[in-house]
Amino acid sequence: MARKPKPTKGGFVQTIVEVEGRTETRTVELPAFEPTPWTDDVELHIVGTSATRVDASEKVTGRARYTADIERPGMLHAYILRAPIPRGTIRSVDAAAARAMPGVVAIMGPGDAPSKTRLLGNDITYAGQPVAVVCASSVREARNAAHAMVVAYDAAPFAVTFKAAVAPDAPKVRAAGNVNPKSPLVIARGDVAAGLAAADVVVTGEYRTPVALHTALEPHGAVCEWDGDRLTIWESTQGIFRVRADAARILELPLSKVRVIKDYMGGGFGAKNGAGAHTILAALLAKQTGRAVRCINDREAEQIDSGNRPASVQRVTIGAKKNGTLTAIQMVGDIPLGISGWEGGPAQIYHELYACPNVRTEETFAYINTSGMQAFRGPGYVEGAFGLEGAMNALARKLNMDPLALRKKNFAKKDPRQNRPFSGNALLECYEKGAAAFGWDGAQAKALSVVDRERLTANHVPTTRRSSTSKRRGVGLAAQVWPTGGGPPSYATVRINADASIDVLAGTQDLGTGSRTVLAQIAAEAIGAKLTDVRAIIGDTQSLPYAGNSWGSMTTPSVGPAVRMAAEDAQRQLFEAAATMLDTTPDTLEARDSRIVVRDTDRTMTFAEVTKNLGNVMISGSGSRGPNPAGVAINTFGVQFAEVEVDVDTGLVTVLRIVAVHDAGRIINPALAESQMQGGILQGVGYALYEERIVDERLGVVLNPSMHEYKIPTMADVPVITVLWAGGSDTAANHTGARGIAEPPIIPTAPAIAAAVADAIGAEVPQIPLTPWRVLAAITGTR
Amino acid sequence: MCRAAFKTWRTFDTSLTAELFQLMRLTVNDRVHDVAPRDDETLLELLRDRLALTGTKLTCDRGECGACTVLLDGATAYSCLTLAVSCDGATVRTVEGLAPPGSLSTLQQAFIAHDAAQCGYCTPGQLVAAQALLDHSAHPTDDEIRAAMSGNLCRCGTYPKIVQAIRAAAEAGAGVGPSAASTADGAPHGA
Repeated sequence: MARKPKPTKGGFVQTIVEVEGRTETRTVELPAFEPTPWTDDVELHIVGTSATRVDASEKVTGRARYTADIERPGMLHAYILRAPIPRGTIRSVDAAAARAMPGVVAIMGPGDAPSKTRLLGNDITYAGQPVAVVCASSVREARNAAHAMVVAYDAAPFAVTFKAAVAPDAPKVRAAGNVNPKSPLVIARGDVAAGLAAADVVVTGEYRTPVALHTALEPHGAVCEWDGDRLTIWESTQGIFRVRADAARILELPLSKVRVIKDYMGGGFGAKNGAGAHTILAALLAKQTGRAVRCINDREAEQIDSGNRPASVQRVTIGAKKNGTLTAIQMVGDIPLGISGWEGGPAQIYHELYACPNVRTEETFAYINTSGMQAFRGPGYVEGAFGLEGAMNALARKLNMDPLALRKKNFAKKDPRQNRPFSGNALLECYEKGAAAFGWDGAQAKALSVVDRERLTANHVPTTRRSSTSKRRGVGLAAQVWPTGGGPPSYATVRINADASIDVLAGTQDLGTGSRTVLAQIAAEAIGAKLTDVRAIIGDTQSLPYAGNSWGSMTTPSVGPAVRMAAEDAQRQLFEAAATMLDTTPDTLEARDSRIVVRDTDRTMTFAEVTKNLGNVMISGSGSRGPNPAGVAINTFGVQFAEVEVDVDTGLVTVLRIVAVHDAGRIINPALAESQMQGGILQGVGYALYEERIVDERLGVVLNPSMHEYKIPTMADVPVITVLWAGGSDTAANHTGARGIAEPPIIPTAPAIAAAVADAIGAEVPQIPLTPWRVLAAITGTR
Repeated sequence: MCRAAFKTWRTFDTSLTAELFQLMRLTVNDRVHDVAPRDDETLLELLRDRLALTGTKLTCDRGECGACTVLLDGATAYSCLTLAVSCDGATVRTVEGLAPPGSLSTLQQAFIAHDAAQCGYCTPGQLVAAQALLDHSAHPTDDEIRAAMSGNLCRCGTYPKIVQAIRAAAEAGAGVGPSAASTADGAPHGA
């Protein structure tokens, strides 16, 4: 292991960080030293092992405290009343009855929140928008009082579909216009028209994806409490420092007077990236009442107004030579964002997955009178993969070519968008490994145009499920790319206590992903300690060094290197102290299992013996995340193979098995990584088969804001999932060799399942979810 | 089973003269509690807000997700849909009572060993539902596990690991009759 870290010159440099497909240039100071890269030939003992999740016992005993479990002395509860109409103005509010109800302490209605909060205004722009908030002794009292408020609305015409929003006489969804100002957003390379003209084969298709809801088990929520002019917020969030910045800005407080705490949280998936209405209203009510206030979304509010993956319509054209070489890719997309959102459309993956000289995407983003979109695991790429990979599979059928061979043919050796080398790319290995594990024989996906029930008997892959004459099997695959380099700024401190127990301090958060465990493993490895001696302390802005949001699969590659550096810095100090005690020099020392050994001798001291001699001398190492390598594309790649069974009489699709092979660089903890892969794939199964928010076009309200009507997969829907890894340590990305893995697994699942369904029934269903009626319509050709 | 004395009284607060509270006794995790819940109070509210047993989670509040699952007289119940006043004399077991304090049940150990909790929010309900399954079926098949557990939603997608954990716990004897931790309440296990 490295004993001589390379000192750097210090000072500030510019670096590029990719966050969920968006590129940001940041100025970052160079770390004081750069640890020696953990290449594949470096022997590691804790990193790379399936260590038990460090907080597992809290989770299985009910001791883990989530935001809704936070109880403060005298705490009050807030309930938000939401608009029942999609557009209009509030004519009057009568809160007299509500004020007289038991337990009610405070009510805020239209106009009662400072304008800077942009909350509780008079204009309604979507159904579910906060209208008023009631604060009472219990949630039940607050809710009862809120529903006793009499609010009169002047309803106005609205638009809840893309088509309605872009119509010439459309109601004004937003004053500045219904089309996002960056629309049409065109990204292009080469000449698509020339590419299509040069093609032997051209396929076109229109692919539709639904609005999907995050549906985290724990809803959004916050507890706010003031101590004089200092505000403490307990929040279920993916970004404690972002919540702090949001609250400080909106409430006009210095950052130092806002503290955000997040210990455990019940999932985020992209929807919990900042302060929400519940946060700000709880803070205002806490100020007004002088008491702590808890405000937690109920399930209906969570499903209606906590973010969503926007729908898309993608009109895709792909041209290729007879041998499968791509000549052109084009996508024209319509994306209704909701009342707000960013340009996280399906375009990016069209430019990044395949080598093709001519690619053009054109996206139009419209605002509509529904709740605003938020990032949702793999935003844009998930939608885009369904269109791109659907069209690629259609192309394979038209070419009468194995879809796997088509993908290998068009493998991108360099980042096709910016002509940069990849830090690492084992996609070809993923293809090989996956095909072998799945039993892909290349004979599937012929151009089938007729439902051929006889083909049932010719099925290749055995499973345990029973089959009848109406059941047909099919197989398919889809690939994936996703930027997972992470980047600065991110800091960590590693403290060695007087008893040689070790604290890792990093202002990041664990969404359930396992970052607490992964960071403890990295620190234990780098310092040479037993994992059980190391505790990762995260989730508090007041006492921990800055880390960014846990989004964009960034936490491990961003915070991990900072933690490693801090641990090496602490180890250096520990070795200096131990060298004096062992009468040697620090460079002769090495450490493992919390024990220091003088190399090639039997002289040894435990960490605890060293720290006992030191007493309360504080060993504190600091680390930071250095800049990203310039001119390099850092991505996680992968492929998934699916086998499905389709009942051609009912249209019901059952996913039998998924084989997933991804290249995410070094895997810090294989068991936790596998859990996250399975989870992403299962969300992909839901996206493919069940999940769709439904808005009534005449009323403009969400019709299925519950967990019964918005269907996420249950245990009974789980296929056999095989997770495999390709590639190895990616030390071109960062010195730990790890890239992100959180989002990649959800990206190729739906198109792989759709390809398998097309294989089974001989017809493509270009719209998800693949509900029985859509599948039946495709079978009977009545679509 | 000892039923609590049934008592009612009129509150002294004259503003609430119409409201009746019922004093009732129930046993939660082997401890006896006398409580006087409101008539609209759920068992979940009683557990979380009165007894500070916050392991049991509120997620959907309408019996759709299973995060609030508890054992009520030995059978699984959605505590969000169970009126507290209907639990007079009942025996309730929550995630906090699956093992004596400071120890872990076989099932809990299997959940840890198989990484069967990601964010952990649905985990208390999953554990209680799984324990109920094992109490009734010592060696469930995978299909039985899937059927018994499909009322407990998990958005992190931990299902494959939960199946593994339940299987391992069964093999380790968690399902052979009432588990060590759940004998004390005298609930009709296996009934």
